[in-house]
Amino acid sequence: MLRARFVVGCRRIKSRVFSRDPMLKDYFISVRVTLLLLFLLAAGFATEARKITVYAPQVSYQVDILVRDGADYVGLTDLLEPLGRLESRPEGKKLILIFNGAAAEFQDGRRQYRTRSNTRPELLANFLLVDGRGYIPVNSIAQLLPRITDQPAEFHAGPRRLFVGSTQYKYSAELRHGPSRLVLSFPAPVNPSTLIERDRVRLLFRREPVVGNGADTIAYNDQFLRSTNFAETPGGAEFVANLSQPATVSIGDGGRTVTITATAPPVAAPQPAAPSAAESQTHPAVTRVRPFVILDAAHGGSETGAVFSPELMEKTVNLALARRLQKELEARGIPVVLTRIADNMLTWDQRAVSANTSHAVLYVALHSSSSGHGVRVYTSMIPSPQPGQTNHSFLPWELAQSPFLQQSGVAASALAAECMASGLPVRSSSAPLRPLNSVTLAAVAIEVAPLGSSADELNTAQYQRKVAAAIASGIAALRGKLEGGQ
Amino acid sequence: MISRKLQFIVAALVLAILAMGFYLVHLKRKAELIGAGPAPEALIAPVSGPAQELTLYLANDGDDSLRPITISSALPSDPGERGRLALHTLIARYLQKDSTHPLGTGADVHDVYLLDPASAVVNLNAAFAETHRSGIEIEQLTIFSMVRTLKAQLPQLTRVRFLVEGKTRDTLAGHVDLSGWLDVGLVVEASQ
Repeated sequence: MLRARFVVGCRRIKSRVFSRDPMLKDYFISVRVTLLLLFLLAAGFATEARKITVYAPQVSYQVDILVRDGADYVGLTDLLEPLGRLESRPEGKKLILIFNGAAAEFQDGRRQYRTRSNTRPELLANFLLVDGRGYIPVNSIAQLLPRITDQPAEFHAGPRRLFVGSTQYKYSAELRHGPSRLVLSFPAPVNPSTLIERDRVRLLFRREPVVGNGADTIAYNDQFLRSTNFAETPGGAEFVANLSQPATVSIGDGGRTVTITATAPPVAAPQPAAPSAAESQTHPAVTRVRPFVILDAAHGGSETGAVFSPELMEKTVNLALARRLQKELEARGIPVVLTRIADNMLTWDQRAVSANTSHAVLYVALHSSSSGHGVRVYTSMIPSPQPGQTNHSFLPWELAQSPFLQQSGVAASALAAECMASGLPVRSSSAPLRPLNSVTLAAVAIEVAPLGSSADELNTAQYQRKVAAAIASGIAALRGKLEGGQ
Repeated sequence: MISRKLQFIVAALVLAILAMGFYLVHLKRKAELIGAGPAPEALIAPVSGPAQELTLYLANDGDDSLRPITISSALPSDPGERGRLALHTLIARYLQKDSTHPLGTGADVHDVYLLDPASAVVNLNAAFAETHRSGIEIEQLTIFSMVRTLKAQLPQLTRVRFLVEGKTRDTLAGHVDLSGWLDVGLVVEASQ
């Protein structure tokens, strides 16, 4: 009675409010729709995040976890189909399952099920049959799978990893000296993602069924290696080596060993040497040399920049110029990295982040234009730093370049001087350009125009070599000046 | 045997197609003739009053320079309208065939709004941005010449923002940043 009165009261208030301002009704409807969409979105994300990773001898895959009656369930077909020949047949409230020729029988709402050996084991919660599909509780997987597949199964509930058969890779770790190194051995090839930080190395195993070897944390208290830590994560595993010295990581023995080797601190070296050819060939992804310059070939992908002719676009000229400049710099022993090495699009923010995390000293954006002649060098057109503002001051993203304007000016002057000395017409100024404003190191943009009237000259090897050589000489002249200021 | 009626209909349709073709060619020629002339100046509402000096900063692609020229023109008293007229006149120069810094056909400025005496918002039309040539220097010359022309008319101006059809645009044609306010002092310094 009371509830009915409350509902009627609410309806009256609602109708009075809406009759006064009909806009409010639309407003409430839009709020409801938005909330509903947000809820669905959140629910979607929540569902997507919960998966079981299954490692089987021939295949690894993921299966969605569904919540039914407040418990975690997994689809029986999803789980078993990749493991063998599966046939499932609903009969009323029963589900007949034939896996590799052997039958099992489940009943909706009951824990007990019948297996090929005619035993009647029980699940830890009721079996569910929804729209002809069978669902079993997640916590019953480890006891159910061996009975159906005749293979051992081990389920790690926390990281939601299921190992079918003897698929686990147990690693061994051995600390060796001369030089100091930690050698990790695996029973099968692995290919971890490697993250090298100043005092630790992280190996992330996303596809391999790597499991711990008994102790999660091992203290070594060595001059090189302090400790190691292993943890399983949802869908993978992570090995962390806590180090006292910088290190490199190499993978050998066809992927069966991962070696973390101590190196001398590379950052303190005044002129870091480029990696040798042999070193680059063996471990290209994990050898780290601090670059002096980061080259950013502007545009790329669907963002073509200027179109000089149906066959020639700015993005292509910029990349060719960047590669030529890279060679010129490497010939002078100057370590260099490129933001892009193919025809792919990068946002301005991605370019700025690449520059800011590269540990380089100089950022050079390369553009080309059919208008004008020679080379134009630009610095960012933002206000000069405020008094007391340092490289470590908190600044808006679009003004992050501000404390580096002076260094950028030095770089622009040196580059313009070398281009002029090479006989190229040069003009330098500031310009409102992105991503220069957000780069936290000395940063310039260079626009190369032809000497003559034809844009085709931009794509000739001779002109590109001339421009690249002039810019490389300018960068080489900057090494002492900028590195000293860092 | 094709009926006489059907023959008549087919003949009429063929005639209609030919007539429409000729009319299309005529329209195309007419459009070309209109495009060649100094159209934007003709679009400006006539302003009465004594003639005043109007300084335009004209860009030159040949040497990447901005050159001031002064012309005599009747100018409205409203600062926003005066800014708009100055930019209309500047763009009209760029649309002429012998321009040292040509802009695309149809380029125009819709409005110049003054938020306060120091802040102006310039609303460009879509054709201005869509037909603009791409390149740092080319785009910069356009923007700098407009900012300096505005500054000459509105001495208190310290910042300018450009919109295209009332909306923020990242760049003019892939290079010069239009996403935020431009500092007039920095523009003047950079284009000296």
